Amino acid sequence: MSTAVINAGDDHLEPTLQSILDQRSLRWIFVGGKGGVGKTTTSCSLAIQLAKVRRSVLLISTDPAHNLSDAFSQKFGKEARLIDGFTNLSAMEIDPNGSIQDLLAGQGENEGAGDMGGVGGMMQDLAFAIPGIDEAMSFAEVLKQVKSLSYETIIFDTAPTGHTLRFLQFPSVLEKALAKVSQLSSQYGPLLNGFLGSNGTLPNGQNLNEMMEKLETLRATISEVNTQFKDERLTTFVCVCIPEFLSLYETERMIQELATYGIDTHSIVVNQLLFPKPGSDCEQCTARRKMQKKYLDQIEELYDEFNVVKMPLLVEEVRGKERLEKFSEMLVKPFVPPQ
Amino acid sequence: MPSLLVVIFAVELFVQLVNTIGSATINNLLWRIALSLPIPLSSEFAAQRKKQKDYLAIRRELNATSSQDEFAKWARLRRQHDKLLEDLEKRKKELDGSKTKFDRTLTTVRLVATRGVQWFLPFWYSREPMFWLPYGWFPYYVEWFASFPRAPLGSVSIVVWQWACTGVLTLVMETVMAVFGLVVATRQKQQEKQKAKQAVPAAGAGEDSKAEAR
Repeated sequence: MSTAVINAGDDHLEPTLQSILDQRSLRWIFVGGKGGVGKTTTSCSLAIQLAKVRRSVLLISTDPAHNLSDAFSQKFGKEARLIDGFTNLSAMEIDPNGSIQDLLAGQGENEGAGDMGGVGGMMQDLAFAIPGIDEAMSFAEVLKQVKSLSYETIIFDTAPTGHTLRFLQFPSVLEKALAKVSQLSSQYGPLLNGFLGSNGTLPNGQNLNEMMEKLETLRATISEVNTQFKDERLTTFVCVCIPEFLSLYETERMIQELATYGIDTHSIVVNQLLFPKPGSDCEQCTARRKMQKKYLDQIEELYDEFNVVKMPLLVEEVRGKERLEKFSEMLVKPFVPPQ
Repeated sequence: MPSLLVVIFAVELFVQLVNTIGSATINNLLWRIALSLPIPLSSEFAAQRKKQKDYLAIRRELNATSSQDEFAKWARLRRQHDKLLEDLEKRKKELDGSKTKFDRTLTTVRLVATRGVQWFLPFWYSREPMFWLPYGWFPYYVEWFASFPRAPLGSVSIVVWQWACTGVLTLVMETVMAVFGLVVATRQKQQEKQKAKQAVPAAGAGEDSKAEAR
C-alpha cells in the first residue's frame, strides 16, 4: 500500500526541487505556507542543497518566531553569519517590527531618537497608517543590504501565509499611493511652500521637501524590488503544505494570490507524510495515512504542472546540520518508503 | 415648415407628456428599446447576461461540491468562480458607465428639445403675430396683453399663445389623469372585494388531502 504513493506518473513533473537547483538565474527564493507545516525545515534543506551548486547562498528568516537558530543550533542575528560547517551558506534573522524601529530611530536623530520627532514622527505615522508598510520598509532595507553583499541566491523563510501575501502585494499599493502624493506635492508644492515659508518647514518641525525625498527613495527601492520579484527568471515561490484540508486550502489560496501578483510558483513540498511499515498495527497511523492519501491524490490531480515533492514524517526532530543534510537529500532524490 | 401655431402647441404637448410620464420612465423605455436593437451595445449586454448565468451555474456546482472530499474539483471550480466573478464585476462597471452615458445624452437631447425650444421660439419670433384679433372686439388693455411683449398691437403674440397652450394642456392632462386614476381605483377595489370573497386556499387544500387520505 505504501508503495502506491510514489507513483510519479509519466504526465507529472519531476517530484523534486531539482528544477530550482538547475535554474541558475534564480536570485530570490521564497518558502511559504501555513504555520507549522515545516517551512523552516524545508528552507534550511533547500539552502543546504543550493549551497552545493551555488557560489554563495544566504538564508533569511522574516518570521518573527525565529526558527533558524533552533534548526541549526546556532545563534543568528540581524547580520549575515556563516553557518557552522559551511563555507558558502550564511543565515540571518530579521524582525519586521524591530527593523522599522531602527529605521525610525535613524531618521529622527536630529530631535533625538527618544521622542520620534521630525521626519521620524511622520514616518512613524505613515508606518502605522498603512497596513504592511512596516514589513515592506524593513524588506526594502534588507534588500538594500543584501544587494551590497553579493550573494548568488537568497532564500526567504517567510512568516505564515497572511503576512507573506500582505507584504508581496504591498509594493504595488504603496507605489500607487506615493505616485499620487508625489504628483500632488509637485503641483501644490509651491503653494504649500508659500504657506510654510522658504524652508518648507511643517508646523511640527518637519521638512516637507526632505519628507518627499525620503518617500520617493522608498518608492524607487520598492518598485525595483517589485519588478525583480515579478520576474520568473529571478524569483520563485516554494509552497510548503501538509496533506490536510486547511493546509491545502491555504496553499490553493496562496497560489492563486501569487498568480495575481505575477509571482512565479511551480513547486509544492508536501511535508509530514506518514509511511507506516507494512504490517504495522498502529491504528492512528493507518487512519491518518488513508486521509493523507486522499489529499495527496487531490494534490496530484490539481497541481499537475507543479513539481510536487513528497517528504516523509520522520521519527526524530529535524535539527542540526547532519539531520538537515540527510533530510535535504530527499528534496532531490524522491523518498522511497521502507518495504 | 408647419405653422408656428402648431409647432408651439406640439412642443407644449410634448413637454406635458414628458412631465406626466416622467423622464426616468422614458429613459428606461428607450434604453430597453436600444438594447433590443442589433447594435454592439445590446450584444455586449446579452454576453453579460450569459456570463451571469454561467456564473450562477458554477456557483451552484461549487456549493454542491464537497471541498474536503473532492478538493481538486472544488479548487478548479473555485478558480473558475473567482475568475468569472472578477470579470463580471469589471464588465458591470463598464456597462453601468455606458448606461449613464446613454442617460446623460438622452437628458441633454430632451432638455434641448423641450426647454430649449420653449425658450428659443418665443425669443426668436417675439415680434411676429400668431394671428390677428378681430378689429374692435376687445378693449385696449386686452389687446395690449394679447400682444405682450413685442408683437404688434391687435395681434396675439407667441408668448401669449404659448401660455394659452400650456394652460389648456395642463387642464386636459389633469382631467385625463383624474379620470384614469378613478378608473384604476374602482377596478382595484373590485378586485379586492373578489379576493376577500375567495376562500383561503390552504383550508381547501387541507380538506382535499384529508379526503384523499380516506
